[in-house]
Amino acid sequence: MKPFKHFTVNSVDEAVLLLKTYEGRSKIIAGGTDLLGVLKSNILPDYPEAVVNIKNIKGLDKIESGTDGFLRIGPLVRLKDIICSPLIKEKCPLLATAAETVATNEIRNVATIGGNICQDIRCWYYRYPHAIGGRFDCLRKEKKGPCPAVKGDNRYNAIMGGKGCFAVCPSDIAVALSVLDGIITLRGPEGEREIGIRDFYTPLGTVMKSDEIVTEIRSLLPSQGARQSFHKFTLRKPIDFAVVSVASLVSMEGSMCQDAKIALGGVSHKPVRAQEAEQTMRGNVPEEALTAAAAEAALKGAKPLSKNAYKIEIAKTLIKKSLLL
Amino acid sequence: MTNNYRYIGKKIPRKDAKEIVTGKAAFFDDIKMPDMLIGKTLRSPYPHANIQSIDTRNAENLPGVKAVLTYKNIPPWTVGIPPHIPVLDRRLRYVGDAVALVAAETREIAEAAIELIEVEYEPLEAVYDLDEAIKPEAPQLYDFAPQNMVPDALPLGVEGFEDAPLHHIKIGNVEKGFQEADIICQGTCSYDGIPNPLPPEPPGIIVKWEGPEEAIVWSATQSPSWANILTSMFLNFTEIRSIATYCGGSYGSKNMLFNISLHAAALAKATNRPVKIYYTKAEHLNAFVLRPASRIHGKIGMKKDGTLTAIQGDWLMGYGANAPMGFMQLAVGCGEAQLALRCKNWDFKAKCVLTNRTPSGIVRGFGGQELKSSLMPILSIAMREADIDPLEFFKKNYVKDGDGYYWRDSKWHVCEGMDYRKAMEKGGEAFGWKEKWKGWLKPTTEKGTKKTGVGVSLHGNADVGEDRSEAYVRLMPSGEAVVQILVAEAGMGQRDSLCKMVAEVLQIPLEKVKMTPPDSLVNPVESGLVGSRGTYACGTAVIAAAQDARKQLLEKAAEKFNTAAENMDTADGMVFQKDKPEQAMPWFFITGPFQSFTGFGRFNTDFTKPNFMMIFTEVEVDVETGKIEILKVLAATDAGQIINPLALKGQIRGSLGSAGIDTAIMEESVIDPQNGHIMTSNMIDYKWRTFAELPEFDDVILESQFPTHQFKAIGLGEISTAPTPAAVLMAVSNAVGKQFFDYPLTPDKILRALGKIQGAESK
Amino acid sequence: MTTSPLPDSQHQIRTIHLTVNGKNFPLEVGMAPHQIQPCHTLLQTIRETLGFTGTKEGCDEGACGACTVIMDGEPILSCMMLTIECDGKSITTIEGLQNPETGHLDPLQQSFIDHGAFQCGFCTPGIIMASKALIAEKSDIETKDIQEALSGHYCRCITHYQVVDAVVDVTKKVMRVSDDK
Repeated sequence: MKPFKHFTVNSVDEAVLLLKTYEGRSKIIAGGTDLLGVLKSNILPDYPEAVVNIKNIKGLDKIESGTDGFLRIGPLVRLKDIICSPLIKEKCPLLATAAETVATNEIRNVATIGGNICQDIRCWYYRYPHAIGGRFDCLRKEKKGPCPAVKGDNRYNAIMGGKGCFAVCPSDIAVALSVLDGIITLRGPEGEREIGIRDFYTPLGTVMKSDEIVTEIRSLLPSQGARQSFHKFTLRKPIDFAVVSVASLVSMEGSMCQDAKIALGGVSHKPVRAQEAEQTMRGNVPEEALTAAAAEAALKGAKPLSKNAYKIEIAKTLIKKSLLL
Repeated sequence: MTNNYRYIGKKIPRKDAKEIVTGKAAFFDDIKMPDMLIGKTLRSPYPHANIQSIDTRNAENLPGVKAVLTYKNIPPWTVGIPPHIPVLDRRLRYVGDAVALVAAETREIAEAAIELIEVEYEPLEAVYDLDEAIKPEAPQLYDFAPQNMVPDALPLGVEGFEDAPLHHIKIGNVEKGFQEADIICQGTCSYDGIPNPLPPEPPGIIVKWEGPEEAIVWSATQSPSWANILTSMFLNFTEIRSIATYCGGSYGSKNMLFNISLHAAALAKATNRPVKIYYTKAEHLNAFVLRPASRIHGKIGMKKDGTLTAIQGDWLMGYGANAPMGFMQLAVGCGEAQLALRCKNWDFKAKCVLTNRTPSGIVRGFGGQELKSSLMPILSIAMREADIDPLEFFKKNYVKDGDGYYWRDSKWHVCEGMDYRKAMEKGGEAFGWKEKWKGWLKPTTEKGTKKTGVGVSLHGNADVGEDRSEAYVRLMPSGEAVVQILVAEAGMGQRDSLCKMVAEVLQIPLEKVKMTPPDSLVNPVESGLVGSRGTYACGTAVIAAAQDARKQLLEKAAEKFNTAAENMDTADGMVFQKDKPEQAMPWFFITGPFQSFTGFGRFNTDFTKPNFMMIFTEVEVDVETGKIEILKVLAATDAGQIINPLALKGQIRGSLGSAGIDTAIMEESVIDPQNGHIMTSNMIDYKWRTFAELPEFDDVILESQFPTHQFKAIGLGEISTAPTPAAVLMAVSNAVGKQFFDYPLTPDKILRALGKIQGAESK
Repeated sequence: MTTSPLPDSQHQIRTIHLTVNGKNFPLEVGMAPHQIQPCHTLLQTIRETLGFTGTKEGCDEGACGACTVIMDGEPILSCMMLTIECDGKSITTIEGLQNPETGHLDPLQQSFIDHGAFQCGFCTPGIIMASKALIAEKSDIETKDIQEALSGHYCRCITHYQVVDAVVDVTKKVMRVSDDK
């Protein structure tokens, strides 16, 4: 990699101060499994001058549940710890399932939940290595020009919600959090703010500013009897980012679906809550015909590009799988 | 038949096993050399362009930079037969093509210098598709290749290459053959996903000049002799000493180090210091050897009983932007077609086509994988019309003892001593073929959204006996035997197998057999570990050398024992009379302290012993998602005699690697035709099989004792991948109920074939 | 280029201590060949600064597993770890498995030899380290646990089947020993 200055901070305030001082020319490093890849491939038009290591900040690696019905997870909690957490396994196994599908064992030993949510997109135009003829320019890299994926090979790109950029959100945790009403707390020089997980992502990047740091991830603790599932379609198991994924949280009353929360991953720049599908499910018995109807409703608004229409079928299959009793 | 061997066929750990598992085996990047510079390459952003201007001053002025080369200041060396690849060119022919070279003190400085080179390009129109490239109006890549087809290679007039290599199978009269046929079919099939063999270790070269026309080349390679003979040829016959390190996988590709060698050699000459070029993984994925792209437009004539009456076709082999050795793979592929399909009438033309993408080169399967994958689906049309079981078809039509074929040397050879029908039958039995085969385009089972199907294909190569090998075996006073043969270790375990053969001939402990390092200075000539020739060709040479040395020892010993040499024997470093083994004497007493017995052995080309591998496979297709799972693979073969069971097992399972079976379902280098870039430029986007998903893998290995050498063995490693894509395509076609004609069969293709995706895919 | 803000020097590490294969290595941050730069990965330091070349660089982007070492008991990818962030860590590389006094091989290494669980050997050190960590962490290991633990390891010669057999063999022996205790 090209060189950079390296700072190790001991508090959130120290981190924010450094990030602010560098005015967008610095990057946070937690687990490093995304950042180092980005730096090595030299895909960003501006290489950071400094890297700020937040791993020594105490108190950001807790998993706690409170009487307020929320689960609180520190951004430095490793994916491995999420998988092994007795609390999460008991109360929120969907999160552990999602974490287990991420990458590989070695990566999960260092990758953090904060990093997973904030990681950069995987669009292969965006990630094209600079050393092999030059990186691709696109709107995300603050240059002009149409998204090269639109007329190119867009088999892994978005089938809905694309605007200017057609990359998909790569975070499996974000998809899981989307049915758990996940909230991200950010702290910057101006103080703290909270963002709902799906509002965290825009077509051109996350809303996190260059001088902000995630301090907490909060999610609803599902009710005891709720059925939780996370399904991820990939060409290989595990390793791959989701081609399509579906998280669902279904509460039943007898044989009837009382409430359903369904989120799609791999289809858009953010996890998509399939609200029409949820509506279809509420008050009905989850039989084959119903789940098929829900799946259709979920993908009604899909606008595939030239090479990714197959995602629609796969998404429907995963939705049916997650909703069928 | 069981032989009472001490080492042959026994499960004995590899001699260098300890080095491997302790991390002591030195691979290419583990070598350190004082004074060594690092070379890096500036790569073209365009698939086709001329350099209009290039300014290297800022790069040259960066502290630590020792040389910057462009097409303006390179030595006049050219790679290729015919020569067409200069060290650097003003014309660039693929995204990633070398624009300039830098040598610097460290990797970081070299990379920084690359970024300081300023270039203006004149983009040109590019072409990617094989059929488009050979049209008269297509953009031309080279002057020497009209319509982007490399002219058919000329006879070289040297030993082994007297005639032009085979590129057109012309036998009998195809028109007459079609008249005799009950069934005639036509089709086009493409195997053009240009997957990457992608060894774990990227390619690299170190070049050090020892004099104006003398250099040392270090490389991780499976054939060190290709550096000191072939690279030497491209370097105006510079005297090259070639040293091979441990090689972290090659699968053919690291025999194609010519271009990188010339880059390193040019930088080393310019700086007068050793220069190392070691590719990054991105360069390995995007700027190094891919499989050739293959497309066949074929027409088949067949009788109802499966007898082939005519095979006519055009075989386009796409090599990308250049083809230093393309003609070889075409030639071998053409030969291998005849091995698999006995037919009296052929008119089958092979063409080496160039397009604007990263060059292809030799990869395991050597043209045969490309040919089988493209031809078998077309044959399937005829087989289906005849409603003939493909296993029966292959049994009927695979070459056997007495059958003739043109091999790659354009000469007619007759198969000697091989008949693989029993292996096919045993394989079919073990796989349960008869129960699982339900007919063409019919699934084996259907359960919910999952359908299974079975497929079979095969491959064989007469190159097991290609080219020459030479070896010495020296019997030392210490009781050791030193084997001198230029053989590298790239995963085949051949160095170990050859030592075992020598240990067997001499009946000495395996620890007493040593092999010289793979250094061309201290070994005789050897063509290299290619085409499974190691077991037969190298084996013959070392066995003959060991037998020769043994003969000399026993003749000398006979004098001491005052008897005839036929009465003498040796074992465990002792000599004795056969009928008085208790009166034994160590070698030392025969040699004395300052004498050794050196035996010489040579193998001469023998194209009459084709090997064979049949692959049966069962797949499951999810008709809702298009996902294919390979459930089961069974390899059926005949090794003649297993030399090294652990190594052989590894080589056979290698069919799942080296861009083999998974090229049927997910492996491909994806090119964006808008701009010619390879999008699969990292190891997450380039798909490869993980430990988590392993199909059930069985093998049936017969040992029919072939008439090859003392141990009656034949090599197999190279051919294990070649049958796999066609076998999987057949299985998927049967599961889905539709014949496919291209690869890889990704979910979108399956869903489209099932009618689940509306509208045409926009290109 | 910005001027350094005041917190600079107190947040920049000058020296780190790495324990590798039981030996302590103090490393200064700097530009000289024997020093480490902030941008150096642990893999670079292990191979180039400390000379432990048994750990391999396959892809340098965390996608092949060849660079796997054990850090504080867990297998990690050394190419995706900055050395400067490893102060106080204890690292085991493939060179550290053998008994340093007797030279005896780790049972896992011996099992790989016995099963022929390698071909070219490039991926082998990473696979052995990951397997070693698995055996140390988990009891009652099943085949699927081994497959999952190794799913990030790229082997192209295809040694997977023999590797799984080799690791299963060792886990059986470990279980037998613990049963005997």
